[in-house]
Amino acid sequence: MGAFFTSRIVSDILIGAAQGVLVGLIALSLVLIWQSTHVLNFAQGAMAMFAAFCGMTMLEHGLNYWVCVLISLVAAMLLGGVTERVLVRPLYGKAEINSIVVMVGFLGILESGASSIWSGMARQLTSPLSQTYFTLGSKTLYLSPFSLFQIGSALTLMLGVAALFRFTKIGLQLRASALAPEVSRLLGVRVNRMLTLGWIISSAVGAFAAIIIATSGSGLFPSNMDGFFVFGFIAAAIGGLESPGGAILAGLLIGIIQTFVADYLSPSWVAFTPVLILVLSQLVRPAGIFTKNTTRRL
Amino acid sequence: MKITQILLRLRYSSLGRLVLALLGTVVAICVVLLVSAQSDTYIANAGAMTIAILGLSLLTGWSGQVSIGNSGFMAVGAFTTGIWANHHQSSPIIISLLLSILTGAIAGLLVGIPATRLKGPYLAGMTLAFVTAMVPFIQSLGKLTGGSGGLFFANLSSPSWFANLSGDPQNFIVANYRWAATVSVVITGVACYFMSNLFASRAGRAMRLVRDNDVAAELMGVNLGRVRVGAFVISAAYAGLAGSLVALLSGVARADNFGLALSIEILSLLVLGGIGTLSGALMAGLLAAYASTLIAKLNALFGLNPYSNLGSNSQGIIFGLLLVVTMLTAPQGMAGLLKKISHLRARKEAE
Amino acid sequence: MQISNLTVRYGAIEAIRGVTFTAMPSRITAVLGANGAGKTTLLRTISGLVQPASGSIVIEGVELIGRATDDIARLGVGHVPEGRGVIAEFTVEENLRLGAMAFDIDLAAGLDEQYQQFPVLGERRKQYASTLSGGERQMLAMARALIAQPRLLLLDEPSLGLAPLVAAELMTTIRELCATKNLSVLLVEQNAKGALRIADDAVVLSVGRVVANGSAAEVASDDQLRQYYLGLVQ
Repeated sequence: MGAFFTSRIVSDILIGAAQGVLVGLIALSLVLIWQSTHVLNFAQGAMAMFAAFCGMTMLEHGLNYWVCVLISLVAAMLLGGVTERVLVRPLYGKAEINSIVVMVGFLGILESGASSIWSGMARQLTSPLSQTYFTLGSKTLYLSPFSLFQIGSALTLMLGVAALFRFTKIGLQLRASALAPEVSRLLGVRVNRMLTLGWIISSAVGAFAAIIIATSGSGLFPSNMDGFFVFGFIAAAIGGLESPGGAILAGLLIGIIQTFVADYLSPSWVAFTPVLILVLSQLVRPAGIFTKNTTRRL
Repeated sequence: MKITQILLRLRYSSLGRLVLALLGTVVAICVVLLVSAQSDTYIANAGAMTIAILGLSLLTGWSGQVSIGNSGFMAVGAFTTGIWANHHQSSPIIISLLLSILTGAIAGLLVGIPATRLKGPYLAGMTLAFVTAMVPFIQSLGKLTGGSGGLFFANLSSPSWFANLSGDPQNFIVANYRWAATVSVVITGVACYFMSNLFASRAGRAMRLVRDNDVAAELMGVNLGRVRVGAFVISAAYAGLAGSLVALLSGVARADNFGLALSIEILSLLVLGGIGTLSGALMAGLLAAYASTLIAKLNALFGLNPYSNLGSNSQGIIFGLLLVVTMLTAPQGMAGLLKKISHLRARKEAE
Repeated sequence: MQISNLTVRYGAIEAIRGVTFTAMPSRITAVLGANGAGKTTLLRTISGLVQPASGSIVIEGVELIGRATDDIARLGVGHVPEGRGVIAEFTVEENLRLGAMAFDIDLAAGLDEQYQQFPVLGERRKQYASTLSGGERQMLAMARALIAQPRLLLLDEPSLGLAPLVAAELMTTIRELCATKNLSVLLVEQNAKGALRIADDAVVLSVGRVVANGSAAEVASDDQLRQYYLGLVQ
């Protein structure tokens, strides 16, 4: 039994799952924004990073880790709400290229801004939970208290968001505002507020992922979310931008496949793997693996 | 105003465009010879940026595919030139340039074929993935690409006939700068000429049709995939050329010079100049020439130490801001504003 | 509701020109006219989806123009748009809950009431709205608007696409509701015959202008109107 859990395959799966849930979270946050406002937020990773910086740099002033996390989440929600009001609102109904370009510009501002405020150096965040792997007898079980927390909290967050959307009043309004904004307005739903709320929730999810990513080893620096954003984006694209469940699943898969690639092939392939998966999935089903069929309106 | 009207009308014929390109190049060379050596470096770099901007203008402006992968293709061109220069010190620069165009185009083909099957944001995301993966990829190629330190090779040095011509045969440094700028300007002129021809040709029109209404284009027999990939390949070729030029001018090829920040810079210059028109791209190129000086002056104005955190990142922040503000307020860029002004004037005259 | 001198433009085209009329409370006012006469534009302007170039719309002393659509809805203006606007991805019950969301009503009681009024909806309450027939969707859209207990109900071509029998039943239902709930109804219809049967007053639009305004009986009996504007031949 023990041999199974410490086998190479299972170890890779465990490591990959820990990575994958983070990718899934980012993919989820992208899908949330896409579904509610039809904008692909290229600055998602950068916004998450910026918010993480706001809170986690307080660690250096002696604040408790969890308090810093809270500060980061609040910062993220503020940032998300303000971004929607100021940058995204004016773009509703305009050409797609406008929102892509604006969000890319915002990405640049945030990264350069973070670099100028906090410098480009990587900061190590001391994890509140141990990151040493467990051992089963003489072999390593590739799970640590922190990685357990990582997987557990990410899954909880995903379930929480799902529950919010399916079972609550606010969730109903959020979904309605995304599916049929005009009709919702006629029913008295404050659609604009719902759109802002969608961004706020999404930003908080993204920031949480960023904090975990920074704590789990790579440290906190302005461009540390670039890679993960790309993976998250690809996961969302593979899962189909319309399906939150698909995005999460795709994220998990990407994490696991990447780990296998790094282990059995070479670490330098890791960056290109998701791209290859995307290309393959496009050949198979261009609209995304989990979307329902829709015809284009002319 | 008659001269400008005549000049503008020349745009519409192939011969006229050639005349304009030659004229522009000659004027630019005169400027190069007259100004200081320091300004020449800005002009030289602006030439490279203009070429990259032209490529992006083709891809994003005329064929409607938003791409932030430009700098990745520039990296391909730069390293091609660098590797070639290291092994063949004495070959004429034209060969390096052509090689870089070729490798750029090939890279464009490889990325373009899968990428162009995607729409709008998916395509942009794919180009982002390309750019983000490119830097570590190049660095991982070890000896070939000089790892994280980059490649070093000889940069452009002026041939003696030019040094004699430009009036100061003893001062090689100045002559080198002038030569570099002249080469840059000439190549830019050629690139502009080809681009303007492409714009006016059937292929160019097909591209714009695909951008505006791809269903109609398909019904008219335009092969969507080919047009899109074609635009991608040409754009990548231009980027490769630009990267090669950058490498030749500086004598260095470093992977992290060609990251996301550079792509954003090119995009914001293009947006500022005006997406979708050739004049917009040219204006963006001019801006590129002054961008570094302007930013340096701004830094000085605020008393910023250029090596401090804020100082070294001010360029990134400013370009990002420009991109956002321009897109929100004047999405057609300066070229668009000028058009509006001339329309208003025409209306006033008609009244 | 008092509409005064309303003018609505789409770019250079005037969809509505100087429209003036009054919809009396607890009565059904039919808005009739050919395709493109501006009927839908009128309803959309009342709901705030379109901003007029000039004029005013006043309900119980409150000016509607300049207000946001969701504000107007919360003032008690229910609007069942052309095409029903039923959210296909929601169940019947979710659609109804959405209708009640912005208002201070007892949800359970409201749902019960609508299920009593439209038993078919009660049977299909857990089904997705995409599985409903045209007539059932119309009922869902109406129930969804009614659950909010509006004071003014705007109906845009409710009988469109429905079989004649179903359409007739629908009209009768509207009449009943108006009577029992003290509801004012603005009924836009191309089916002039059916509308005039249940309406108290009628306004006829042609190319954006009011060409007739009076009681339904007057309008129904005017031969000229019937022929030229209503497509009804004797």
